Amino acid sequence: MQEDENRAEKMKVTVKVFATLRRFMEKESQVTIESGTTAGELLLMLTKEHPGLNNELFDETGVLREYVNILKNGRNIHFLNKLETIIEENDLIAIFPPSGGG
Amino acid sequence: MLTPEEKEQFIRQTPILGEDGQEKLKNAAVLVAGAGGLGTAIALHCAFAGFGTVRIADCDRIERSNLNRQTLYRLPDIGRMKADMAVERIQGVTPYLCTEAVNTVITVENVLQMTAGMDIIIDAMDNYDTRYILADAAEERGIPFIHGAIDGFYGQVATTIPGQSACLRCIVPHPPPRTKVPALSATTGIIGSIQVTEAIKCILGMGTLLTDKLLLWDGLHCEMDTIEVTPLKECPHCGECRKMKTEQKK
Ligand SMILES: [Zn+2]
Repeated sequence: MQEDENRAEKMKVTVKVFATLRRFMEKESQVTIESGTTAGELLLMLTKEHPGLNNELFDETGVLREYVNILKNGRNIHFLNKLETIIEENDLIAIFPPSGGG
Repeated sequence: MLTPEEKEQFIRQTPILGEDGQEKLKNAAVLVAGAGGLGTAIALHCAFAGFGTVRIADCDRIERSNLNRQTLYRLPDIGRMKADMAVERIQGVTPYLCTEAVNTVITVENVLQMTAGMDIIIDAMDNYDTRYILADAAEERGIPFIHGAIDGFYGQVATTIPGQSACLRCIVPHPPPRTKVPALSATTGIIGSIQVTEAIKCILGMGTLLTDKLLLWDGLHCEMDTIEVTPLKECPHCGECRKMKTEQKK
């Protein structure tokens, strides 16, 4: 068991959240993930740890709210592989709902 | 040329903008798209900075519930057209200020006419449908578009320069739901002021612009961050596809 855990390569990424998401977690945190983790899996990890995030990120049916910006090193995952986007070591993941009012 | 009176008026800002910079502003025309919380702050600061022409577009009338943040209006103005009133309130800031009120809704059909003669567009809209229309017009005209938006204590600003930086769709590909968001004049004042600062820098070619970046303001924690936004090669509006299209046209 322990050997298996050791074998899965661990890596650190930085997650930054803004605006309303700050109600549920710190602005910046280091998250340890296994190699091959997708953006979707990372979001699930975060919502497990901070349940309040769930409603901010996902609708009632569990689908990601399209307007929530999720940037991997400045590139919106919408233009990458969406929730299937692979997160890599030292990535900076920024998550925030855009403001819309004037 | 600046008159001696104008030189005197701007004596406190010529050390940073220069007399030639002040003249550039005098010759510059700005479209303030929207005359709500952001738009009233933006229009006022554009007039005071010394922009020569300020065109203000808004199709709404002033309501009582606007008066917590739309700082150019007063109680007796309720029922008046916002653009008309905003223009009236900024007149007389400089002797040369030319103001224009446009009381119509901004559409794909009229946006090119509405932006004619403008050197810059400042976004003070309350919805992304119109923001995209304006951003496309800025791209077509090859002029900067200064995006701004607020939501309660939060706000954001980004500057887009056609053909050079990430476009609005790269930055916000999917708009948030169109709802009446909470709004505070202290927030619209901050965001509008940053937008006008960007506009001045664009006209004068000074400093570092908020291009390929999104500035995020969080008044609740009193924190400001800028995050990098990479222009997308795949983006049909600012990326490879557009470059190809332009090359094909040649
Ligand atoms: Zn783009």
